[in-house]
Amino acid sequence: MSQPKIIVVGGGLAGLSATIKIAEMGGHVDLFSIVPVKRSHSVCAQGGINAAKNLKGEGDSTWQHFDDTIYGGDFLANQPPVKAMCEAAPGVIDLLDRMGVPFNRTPEGLLDFRRFGGTLFNRTAFAGATTGQQLLYALDEQVRRYEAEGKVTKYEAWEFLSAVIDDQRVCHGICAIDLRSMAVQTFPAEAVIIATGGVGAIFGKSTNSVVCTGSAQSALYQQGAYYANGEFIQVHPTCIPGEDKLRLMSESARGEGGRVWVPKQPGDKRDPKSLPEGERWYFLEEWYPKYGNLVPRDIATRAIHKVVYELHLGIDGQPMVYLDLTHIDRATLDRKLEGILEIYEKFVGDDPRDTPMKIFPGVHYTMGGLWVDFEQRTNIEGLYAAGECEYQYHGANRLGANSLLSCIYAGFVSGPNAVNYARNGIKSGRTPAQHVYNSERKRQEEINAHLMNNDGTENPFLLWRELGDTMTKNVTVIRYNKNIRETDAKLVELLERYRHVNLSDRSNWANTSFVFARQLYNMLQLARVIAQGAAMRDESRGAHYKPDFPERDDANWLKTTKAYFAADADEPRFEFEQVDTSLIKPRPRRYDVAT
Amino acid sequence: MASSASSIDTSSARIKEGVAPLRAGQGYSFVLRRLHSLSGIVPIGAFLIEHFISNSEATKGVQAYNDQVKFLTSLPFVHVLEWVFIFLPLLYHGIYGLYIWYKGDSNVGEYPWTGNWLYTSQRWTGIIAFIYIAYHVIDMRFLGVHLMGGGYNNAFSKVWFDFQSPWTIAFYVIGIVAVSWHFAYGVWLFAAKWGLTIGDQARRRFGYVCAALAILLIGIGLWTITGFVQTPAGQVPYVEHD
Amino acid sequence: MANSKSVILKIKRQQTPESKPYWEEFELSYRPGMNVTSALMDIAANPVTRQGKPTTPVTYDSNCLEEICGSCAMIINGQAKMACSALIANLKQPITLEPFTKFPIIRDLAVDRSVLFENLKRVKAWVPVDGTYDLGSGPRQSSEMQEEAYPLSNCISCCCCMEACPQFNDKTGFVGAATIAQVRLFNSHPTGSALKTERLKVLMGDGGIQECGYAQNCVEVCPKELPLTKSIAAVGGQVMWQAVKDLFRT
Repeated sequence: MSQPKIIVVGGGLAGLSATIKIAEMGGHVDLFSIVPVKRSHSVCAQGGINAAKNLKGEGDSTWQHFDDTIYGGDFLANQPPVKAMCEAAPGVIDLLDRMGVPFNRTPEGLLDFRRFGGTLFNRTAFAGATTGQQLLYALDEQVRRYEAEGKVTKYEAWEFLSAVIDDQRVCHGICAIDLRSMAVQTFPAEAVIIATGGVGAIFGKSTNSVVCTGSAQSALYQQGAYYANGEFIQVHPTCIPGEDKLRLMSESARGEGGRVWVPKQPGDKRDPKSLPEGERWYFLEEWYPKYGNLVPRDIATRAIHKVVYELHLGIDGQPMVYLDLTHIDRATLDRKLEGILEIYEKFVGDDPRDTPMKIFPGVHYTMGGLWVDFEQRTNIEGLYAAGECEYQYHGANRLGANSLLSCIYAGFVSGPNAVNYARNGIKSGRTPAQHVYNSERKRQEEINAHLMNNDGTENPFLLWRELGDTMTKNVTVIRYNKNIRETDAKLVELLERYRHVNLSDRSNWANTSFVFARQLYNMLQLARVIAQGAAMRDESRGAHYKPDFPERDDANWLKTTKAYFAADADEPRFEFEQVDTSLIKPRPRRYDVAT
Repeated sequence: MASSASSIDTSSARIKEGVAPLRAGQGYSFVLRRLHSLSGIVPIGAFLIEHFISNSEATKGVQAYNDQVKFLTSLPFVHVLEWVFIFLPLLYHGIYGLYIWYKGDSNVGEYPWTGNWLYTSQRWTGIIAFIYIAYHVIDMRFLGVHLMGGGYNNAFSKVWFDFQSPWTIAFYVIGIVAVSWHFAYGVWLFAAKWGLTIGDQARRRFGYVCAALAILLIGIGLWTITGFVQTPAGQVPYVEHD
Repeated sequence: MANSKSVILKIKRQQTPESKPYWEEFELSYRPGMNVTSALMDIAANPVTRQGKPTTPVTYDSNCLEEICGSCAMIINGQAKMACSALIANLKQPITLEPFTKFPIIRDLAVDRSVLFENLKRVKAWVPVDGTYDLGSGPRQSSEMQEEAYPLSNCISCCCCMEACPQFNDKTGFVGAATIAQVRLFNSHPTGSALKTERLKVLMGDGGIQECGYAQNCVEVCPKELPLTKSIAAVGGQVMWQAVKDLFRT
């Protein structure tokens, strides 16, 4: 049997799960990652991973999981792949369990499950409050095993610059830069899988890691890949505001009984613990009696925004509300939530076991992403995408603990599909001419040389701050068309100013400002996709909320936004595609009353 | 293949080599280190305790001390015993210990924590013990009046004359403290490294035991010195020096 | 402290692996909640030294900024720490930042820590599953087993334990505490224990567990508070049993 070589870009859960499948099928993987794969952003996922194993006698089923996911995503996701994912979920959990993930256990020694937002079932398996870390490590260990066997070659401290695409629009490998020597090089492969995560950095401060710039997705979009549903950005309701980033306070804090409240009296300066129950307003519990604190993230985020910005009830007049765990005993908290409570303790200095946490919503997850079909193929032949960088599984809003599942599942789908595609290609002799690689490398080297020698006045880090500020202000929780249009104009201005960027560092060794400047350009281009997509969609659906169009509009907008890059005009163009709703008929999404 | 792989090499070639990864199946450091650790307990540690107890006979007077030396020097195969169970293990423990000391990079300046101080103290007490024991063995066993054969009657006086110098006494006090500390902490290290005291609590509790052992040994040692020092000159038979 | 509203940073810099290190001083304005990584971001946005000399942004590793990815380890005021969780308010000024001293330098504060990943490969730090196809659920494990395993599985590979260890250096080639803790983790897993003998034999090679001098700095500096000394003791026992078995029973 032929031994196809496949490139996987990104070493998070999606990239590693694809890598494992490929190696297991006898393929060879060149695995590219900016950071050592064990340091990928997947480690930040906290609460858990969903699978309807029904070990709590609640009558949970994979269909129910499927329905919750589609309903939570406000019917924007194509249904067949989501159904397949939910059906595969119990098997994924079993596999992770076999790989040694230290999932929490019941007294009988079985997997324990907790409740997450957007469902009424205890469906979330968890390893303390660092589930993403534990899952990533399990996959990292298996990949290391294949690396020891010579089936995987890691290229850590390399960054993807572009795909190598021939005249027939077929992808034959990638062009990447060595982040130390700054050398640009092309790498051939029979197929390429992109697994490069979310785009949080476009919003400046977010819960995402430093590498989550969306640069790879944007580069591919500029090379002709469709980017779908870019306007759907999840803002997580509970984050710890910080100087360098917004640190996530997992939904599991509410899953284990955490309650969100504000003092009823505006500007109340008293110690929160001294406030009697009667003077606290548990607004989520009051507004959404059925789901209470565990409404989906978009709902909770908008509720907090309303309390803070419309009712002016933020703590001490600040944009913050309480997330309170102090009524739960310390031993339980330490057993189930220690990891995240330590984060709060370390970065804020207060012990959340004693004092209610102060939290506020922050940009968290990218529902949109590279357009893929049900086989995880992008519209460029030979180029696959898996994980947060693609748009397939979460519709207009992602349910908590579904991201880890979708990453692993998409990796498991894309890996074997890429291998089969690659094998067919080897059989049919699908190899490109050498000049395809040479010209792509030359193109990238020219971009680099131009950037390195540019004489301007603009500091890329400051441009980025402006980008983040305008995107966060106008294209997150509450969206008005006027503001979004202003934002797009601002993006055009920033792209123009980018042409005058001046690197304070022009050296050719481990030059981080240079690398950042390249990412920034891609961020700016992709920001326009997000902003313009948001401007077009005149309805409210999931995470996308326009007060001027407060209702979901299935007649006009039950469709996928597909952006493509018009190179001559240097801006995005849009197409729309019907959503596959063949399995569950769309129904109104209401969490305030029983449906 | 597309472009050459040379740029991969440029980056890795420029970065210097760091600490080597594990060398499975290579070298004998495991056996040598474990032997070093074991030799400190038996036979050296066992002999040390015997030696401290035997010497403490000095507190009972000249005759008791000389009788004890007589008993020890008249053991069968005494030369074989002293070489196999004392001199060779001491040489090994001392010389390999110097090698261990050379390989470690003490950093109590940056990390001034108890365990780290103890680590460093184990190196320094080891060096002191090495010098002290070398002097002690050469002086007592190989120089001057010979105690083997019929020389045991001179044992007390040999030590007594040495202790006429306050410098010698000071050196002995330092030596006894260093040796006792080195041994007691060595017992603690042995238990931790060989997996006898796994839990944090177990190691802490055993630490108290070892601290008590160190104090006990130091006490016996100093008490023994007083046994010599407080014996009046009139009770000590005169010994011809070389 | 220059004044309560400003932060003075002294950073040890080095352009390339071959060039000489030098120090630069920066003065930043203080904001509540500021940590070392946000200070480094401030310098990137305005790379000018305290003396007003334009310079380059500082190269350093970072990713998650919430002490779970293990990237941003460096020497802060003389000790190995994670830059993200090092709050400026808790640090004595002027704050000195230096790269790790025991790992090959790349540039400024970034070093090459790949030796840890190589060591994890050599001790086979994984559970040898048969395959990723559906083979049913994993072995049943009690909550007690999970509570033993979980803290060990929290290791973020930051290498602070190795940097602070007096025995981790070129002369010993010691493997360091992090790898030994992972050996303990995988040896205790019902399926992972299939490779226990192999792992222990690897740990008996040069640079193995015998090089530990029990200075216990590892457990003190570990940002994730792994039970490292306990793991070294436990694996030390396992290795000894293995040695005895090898000697007398094979």
